[in-house]
Amino acid sequence: MSNIIRNCMYQGKNLFREGSLLFWSVIYPIILAVLFYAAFNGIMDSSLDDINIGIEESNEIFHVLEEMDFINVHIITENEVYEKLDNEEIDAFIDSNLNLTVDESGINQTIIKEVVEEIKQIIKLNRPIDGFEFFVSYVQGKNQEANSFVVIFYSLIAMVSTYGIYAGIETASLVQANLSNLGIRINVTPLKKQNFLIAGVIVSLLMNLFANTVLLLFINYILKIHLCSDLKHSAVFILLGNLFGVILGVFIGVSNKKSMSVKTLIAIVVTLLLSFLSGMMGPWIKIMIDKYIPLLARINPISIISNNLYRINLLGSTKSVGEGAVILLFYCIVLLFLSYIFLRRKNNDSL
Amino acid sequence: MIVEAKNIVKRYAERIALDHFSMEVYEGEILGLLGPNGCGKTTAINCILSLLNFDKGEIKVFGKKMTPSSYDIKRKIGLVPQEVSVFENLTVRENIDYFCGLYVDDKYERKKYVEEAIEFVDLKDYVRFYPKKLSGGLKRRLNIACGIVHKPKLIFLDEPTVAVDAQSRNFILEGIKRLNGEGSTVVYTTHYLEEAEMLCSRIIIMDNGKDIVSGTTEELKAMITASEKIVVSFINIEDKIINLMNSIPHVIDIERNGEDFIIKFENGINNLSNLLSFITEHNLTYTKLYSKLPTLNDVFLELTGKELRD
Repeated sequence: MSNIIRNCMYQGKNLFREGSLLFWSVIYPIILAVLFYAAFNGIMDSSLDDINIGIEESNEIFHVLEEMDFINVHIITENEVYEKLDNEEIDAFIDSNLNLTVDESGINQTIIKEVVEEIKQIIKLNRPIDGFEFFVSYVQGKNQEANSFVVIFYSLIAMVSTYGIYAGIETASLVQANLSNLGIRINVTPLKKQNFLIAGVIVSLLMNLFANTVLLLFINYILKIHLCSDLKHSAVFILLGNLFGVILGVFIGVSNKKSMSVKTLIAIVVTLLLSFLSGMMGPWIKIMIDKYIPLLARINPISIISNNLYRINLLGSTKSVGEGAVILLFYCIVLLFLSYIFLRRKNNDSL
Repeated sequence: MIVEAKNIVKRYAERIALDHFSMEVYEGEILGLLGPNGCGKTTAINCILSLLNFDKGEIKVFGKKMTPSSYDIKRKIGLVPQEVSVFENLTVRENIDYFCGLYVDDKYERKKYVEEAIEFVDLKDYVRFYPKKLSGGLKRRLNIACGIVHKPKLIFLDEPTVAVDAQSRNFILEGIKRLNGEGSTVVYTTHYLEEAEMLCSRIIIMDNGKDIVSGTTEELKAMITASEKIVVSFINIEDKIINLMNSIPHVIDIERNGEDFIIKFENGINNLSNLLSFITEHNLTYTKLYSKLPTLNDVFLELTGKELRD
């Protein structure tokens, strides 16, 4: 144990004094946040308008929706749906099976989706719908500026929380004789590789959490955007996101014999792909995946982080917190176990 | 015997890096692994230290089979790798302390060892420096300090003087002698003949992954046919006189290099006086004349057919 603590201390000093790593994990996300803020500042001041929903009068939730102050209910027939959507007279249409038809993605559509999902659950549980305060849950209670561009900041936090992947690769390279000169020296010492790696994971995690904290404080106090209204649940996903990033980095680092640059490239491709599939590069991808491969959205770690941060803080919903946390934790354990298998008593064919 | 490597074969695809290589290291000696770049010196060390897999053969260190998890054996070993291998963002003292701490648990003992290592490599004026601020020679010293700080019984130094200035090189070589004097057994790889000759109590000459021959410097030199070379520059010498020189006792070859004649003698005494008698007898005039004793390069040349410096 003292060995791990000592390694944490020295690896921590080595990592925290690495200027380039500090830039990419601390300064770069702040620069991105400033750029996002500068680009979308004007739009972010807009407030939430009432949401227009199209529905048939015979629909079982018609009266429930009618009671909601923030929803304007429009009685239409199924034949009029696309015309009304095209003319932007309605934001969404709810059919008799409580399926949603939308023309575009946005905050209104997301809120409607969450409301409908909640209603479905209440119906399943045979609980009375009338007493449920949807507006409190989804809009007012969170004291959150309701606009779609806040989502970008959740995506940014999700992305930064997985940045530990690079520190993870770095740690794995330091302990492998075929990847670094230092690895040659360390492998001749009586230090067990797993102790070095555990210390590396702890240090990388702390450094990335520090970077996340700096970013959140900056967004909160300098940009005055209050993203974390539910700090407790948000912290769970930020922490798990960091842990996942670092351990994924370690796994990439130890699972193959490619050079450092190739491993970094793998990390970039993996994170970009996961981010792409989570809708970070455009909401249409997210909509497509939600529609055709909903399972992918539920198992994509970056989707899990960004969706949950969004739901927890913007929509006030914690219903997927447990599932998301368990999936991320499962990934961490599996990757850690596989990394251990790759590292165990390994020596090299070439250095 | 501290290290015993028998018939090690190591292949990289089609290329053989170690070809039935064998070596033994005895307690208290400085063993030199001498050979040209790429002959397999570092590969041999990496196999012994279980950093590399090998295809055939057997290696024992301190009487036990060496594996990646032989932590008890690793405690007794120190390595100074060919490349400077330190943390770039830790200071000189922090680097030495970090590596010492991997072997020495007691805080006070560790502090003493670190101070001694700093003293040993004479880096006390640089303890707060980061490696990137050190010159090449000072970095090499730090590299050595990190490898020897725990006072290992067996030290592997892999070409520690490459790209080092003359002053630092002498300092390093003197330091290695002191380490050996303090009881450490040293395995020293180099392609510098002079270093091996000056430092090592025993030398293994390597080429193309093979251990060609081993012995003390004197033993190796005694193995070659031309045990002495005399270089002489004559004024107006006739060809028939040159041919007559072959009759001088122990002469085995005469080589002409411009004005100079290199006369090679096999083992024997009075070679120089026999040559001087021949010169007097034939009234020859010369401008220079000197004797060259064989070097390790001559040994290498005779054994492999090529110069070590090639």
